[in-house]
Amino acid sequence: MEQKSELTLTVNGEAVSRTVPVRRTLGDFLRDDLAFTGLKLGCEHGVCGACTVWVEGAPIRSCLMLAIQCQGVEVTTVEGLAKSEDFGILAQSFTDNHGVQCGFCTPGMLMTASAFLKANPKPSEAEIRTAISANICRCTGYKGIVDSVKTAAERLAAGKAGAGRAQGRA
Amino acid sequence: MAREVLGLMRGKWIGAPIKRVEDPRFLSGEAIFAGDISLPRMLHAAFVRSPHGHAKILSIDSSRAAKMPGVVLVVTAKDADFKPLVDLLPPLDGLQKTPQPLLVKDHVRFVGEAIAVVVAEDRYLAEDAAGELESAIQYEPLPALVDAVKAMDEKTNLLHPELGSNVFYRKKVKVGDVEAAFKSADKVIKRTYHTNRVSAAPMEGRACVAKYDKSFGQLTLWISTQSPHVDRNLLAESLEIPENKVRVIAPDVGGGFGQKQPTHPEELVVAAMARRLGRPVKWVEDRREHLLASAHAKEQTINLEGAFKKDGSLLALRAQCIGDSGGYSFNPTSGLIEPSFSATGIPGVYDLKNYEYEIVGVLTNKTPTGPYRGVGWTAGNTAREALLDLAARELGLDPVQIRLQNMIQSDQFPYRNCIDMLYDSGSYVETLKKACEMAGYDDFRKQQVEARKAGKYLGLGLCVFVEPSAFGSDVAAQMGWPLPSHDNASVSMDPSGKVIVSTGHLGHGQGHETSFAQLAADTLGIDVKDVIVQRGDTESAPWGMGTYASRSAVIAGGSISYAARDVRDRLLAIAGNMLEAPAQDLEIEDGKIFVKGSPNQSIDVTEVAHAAYYNPRIRVKGVEPRLQSTRFYDPPACYSNGTVIALVEVDIETGITKLRRIVFVEDCGTMINPFIIEGMMAGAIAQGAGSALMEHLVYDASGQLLTTTYMDYLIPTAADLPSPETAHLETPSPFTVGGIKGMGEGGVISTPSAVTNAIMDALAPFNPELRDLPLGPDKVVKIVQAAIAKA
Repeated sequence: MEQKSELTLTVNGEAVSRTVPVRRTLGDFLRDDLAFTGLKLGCEHGVCGACTVWVEGAPIRSCLMLAIQCQGVEVTTVEGLAKSEDFGILAQSFTDNHGVQCGFCTPGMLMTASAFLKANPKPSEAEIRTAISANICRCTGYKGIVDSVKTAAERLAAGKAGAGRAQGRA
Repeated sequence: MAREVLGLMRGKWIGAPIKRVEDPRFLSGEAIFAGDISLPRMLHAAFVRSPHGHAKILSIDSSRAAKMPGVVLVVTAKDADFKPLVDLLPPLDGLQKTPQPLLVKDHVRFVGEAIAVVVAEDRYLAEDAAGELESAIQYEPLPALVDAVKAMDEKTNLLHPELGSNVFYRKKVKVGDVEAAFKSADKVIKRTYHTNRVSAAPMEGRACVAKYDKSFGQLTLWISTQSPHVDRNLLAESLEIPENKVRVIAPDVGGGFGQKQPTHPEELVVAAMARRLGRPVKWVEDRREHLLASAHAKEQTINLEGAFKKDGSLLALRAQCIGDSGGYSFNPTSGLIEPSFSATGIPGVYDLKNYEYEIVGVLTNKTPTGPYRGVGWTAGNTAREALLDLAARELGLDPVQIRLQNMIQSDQFPYRNCIDMLYDSGSYVETLKKACEMAGYDDFRKQQVEARKAGKYLGLGLCVFVEPSAFGSDVAAQMGWPLPSHDNASVSMDPSGKVIVSTGHLGHGQGHETSFAQLAADTLGIDVKDVIVQRGDTESAPWGMGTYASRSAVIAGGSISYAARDVRDRLLAIAGNMLEAPAQDLEIEDGKIFVKGSPNQSIDVTEVAHAAYYNPRIRVKGVEPRLQSTRFYDPPACYSNGTVIALVEVDIETGITKLRRIVFVEDCGTMINPFIIEGMMAGAIAQGAGSALMEHLVYDASGQLLTTTYMDYLIPTAADLPSPETAHLETPSPFTVGGIKGMGEGGVISTPSAVTNAIMDALAPFNPELRDLPLGPDKVVKIVQAAIAKA
């Protein structure tokens, strides 16, 4: 019989407890056990980045991590990201710059891009390209995605500046 | 106000760069791909695949695997309840189609060929048992044939002994006076080019979920595919289920690029397992399986010989296109299209009078080949443009000049080329000139000289292409593949005035839900937001051949606008009764119907639609009030064109090529949505750059595939590519509805050539020659070292 283990963690802000086979990857656990199918399995070798989720806020490859390694941690998938405050700006930037074609790499790309923009709110194009080179896209040739991330950075900065000014006046 | 242009009603939507309506579900993670589907009591399949390129199967002992935990069923060829891949297409002269089993019985022909399927309670358990079964199969290895040029002359080691040869197709064509042209030439150049075996490698591999309803005998297959109706046909034939009891649904599809056009054996097996077990069965291939067993593409050896005058005039070409088609003719003509389309694509944009070609389709112990964006044209263009560059160099001519002087000029259209392809219209000279201007061609030559003095090697390469883009039966025949290629679309307006468009052309990244809505909205005079485009379900879509070969804009364009026109006519007939005006005097704009010139006295489309359904008194004699129409379109041939210029910098120490700039000028006739077109251009360039520089499915001498992960099979990342600089010319086709030509493949057809020519140009001081692709750092370093050793 497959060896199993108890697992308790937080996924997209909600507490989850399950018994899982110890060999089950985090990606399979999130997709098959919890039905968070937003993350995609593109290569299962840790190369393509489609399965990127956040563990404790940091982007990781969920195809290379075991579910039981996530005991007690906080995991965020694209479904969780989509509920966050800045998501609308990021998503609209992707639509405005043709950052989506087939959409299969998109959730992983968003997880990488969003974490990157938090760490580097004013990136150069070269920095954006290096950051998203962690994720493969086969459709767009990356132009649309690079432009999307650039636009999102500008809009987020403008939003924050606007909010700052508003607070200053108040 | 909508106006009719070449049979297409054009209003505010066609030509507008509107944003994609399909984006939100992809961004939120709500999109449903086949692998995301989960059904009650669903089982999981895993395939056992051959580790040998060429072998006899001596025995299979599945007893241990069958007893593994969670295993429900193990099936091999001997207990199959399905027929081999069935041939649906009419015969093609000279093509010997090889039968292809869904599970191979005794003679394996490529590494990765499926031998058995295991069905278990979850994927982990299925893979455990598949691993066990893998070690319980005895083989007698046979010598593998991995070189098509050797395999074609092989007399005894045959992949399909019943054919008597490893050549499954051979055709020779000669037009003009080729011998005389070669005799009168000042310069004859002959070279052999080998183009690399690559994979379309969509981010989503193959995936399907099958469900069988025993009481009704109905099969439903959710599948990542480009051609649901063709899949349905094959399922019905192979599993012997009445076709009206087979439903195929393509949910969101994570890229296809041609690879998901042919139905693959595994997909039929999964459906058969669901029928046998009466439980849903899911199969999602992993990336290793994908690289092993999803159709490969583009490997050819091309012998090309050109006859030139001293002034650069191209007098004649002779080509032999040898396609390395893998273990089977596959499905059943896919192996042929690559060398065939290369041979017919080689004349390209040039005003060539004398041409001789031979197509050879060869079976080898490699994965069968299928379509991949720019089928055949990539290899043909790459070889021809390399030869032209070489001719320019040897004759002391400028590479742009030699192309311009041999090119079909704009006043020659429509132009019937030497092998009877009718190029409807084009802008070959103009796109080349525009691209040179954007690239700063003249300045570049100066920079190149200066840079070399400083030890920097800059290069510029270009490729001018024409592509068959209205892939209907007419263009197919012109390309030497006289098989059917047509489609249908339905347009229906509901009582509230909202519209559903349904076609077999499902989108898988191309933004069809947006572009098709634009087409219908203009004809119907309504807002694009009021149109929904249904996707890939054989139960709702009229029969269609699917999305491939840049055909959707043209064929869906024609069929949607015809169907929308019918609905418009009926709407206007009813509105005429309501407004007491002749229908032909009415106009629709922004959802309002009015007498031309009197927009103030109008009636809403929604009101007319409601009346059509609920008010029998407004009916017009002889006109059905049904606001629905299904129409067929099989377009006349048309051809898009363009020019790609690549600017590179090559590090002669490391051999690494940096793509500095890519300029792409495209002319795809009438543009439905320039915003979407731009994105498709950029994506095609990336794929082309990948196959120029890094993508390569490598086999060893025993037929073992060495590149089975993304760590070995390299796909370009954002760090490898520049953002392309793009421009559009718009030369509408005089033949197709609306002058739409279709696009999306040009970048894959021409970027490999532009990039490799640019590297050759950068390395010019080392007398380089292009022989094979990809042109990675290893080959660059070899070229440089050979030149240094010689000096």
